[in-house]
Amino acid sequence: MMPQIVTVRYRKRDGRWRRWFIPVVPVVVLLSPLLLIAVVGGMVVCFCYEISPTDAVRGVGRVLWALPGTRFEMEQGQTAVLVSIR
Amino acid sequence: MNEQRRQILEMLADGKITADEAERLLGAVESEPDESPAAAPRAKARVKYLRVVVHAEDDGAGGGPSDINVRVPLQLLRAGVRLASLLPPVAITKANEELSRAGVPIDLAELKPQQLEDLVDALDELTVDVDDATSKIRVFCE
Repeated sequence: MMPQIVTVRYRKRDGRWRRWFIPVVPVVVLLSPLLLIAVVGGMVVCFCYEISPTDAVRGVGRVLWALPGTRFEMEQGQTAVLVSIR
Repeated sequence: MNEQRRQILEMLADGKITADEAERLLGAVESEPDESPAAAPRAKARVKYLRVVVHAEDDGAGGGPSDINVRVPLQLLRAGVRLASLLPPVAITKANEELSRAGVPIDLAELKPQQLEDLVDALDELTVDVDDATSKIRVFCE
């Protein structure tokens, strides 16, 4: 399943938590012009290094689709960060 | 139909046990955990995540204790492994040269995607426990 929401939570210096919910699909739509340039750049790199663009797209797609469920949590002293992909 | 159920039904047919006794025995057989080899892959398939949990006490620098908790889907590892198979031959040659220079004579070209996937599949039985005086590290699958 494609990632839907990325949750970023971090603790500020005053001890309060700040939480961001990033909806993936709207952000991707918003950045689609930049993504188009990135895709073209990726294709050029694929041709330069003799990598099949189809396999590359499939591989990147698999990685993206496997991302939901990933969670990274780190806490040290005052610093605390949580990144969760759903 | 498994062997125990068949034996109970045969005993009932032969008249050795009554219908009530057969019902009780069948109930007991059904409530037993299934230890057949076919049950093992089902239990194995439940493993979905690789977890890395680190806890370290304050090292004296004033930073306080550290906690790291990482959960990575095994599917992501598989996808990464498949992506690694796209490495261009030039990069593999260079990596081999660097590895042999560092004293690790491994030929990456001989690593097949299937072998790497087998490696990821075998991760579900992996458990690493490092228990130090000031830190604890656990790597396991759940």
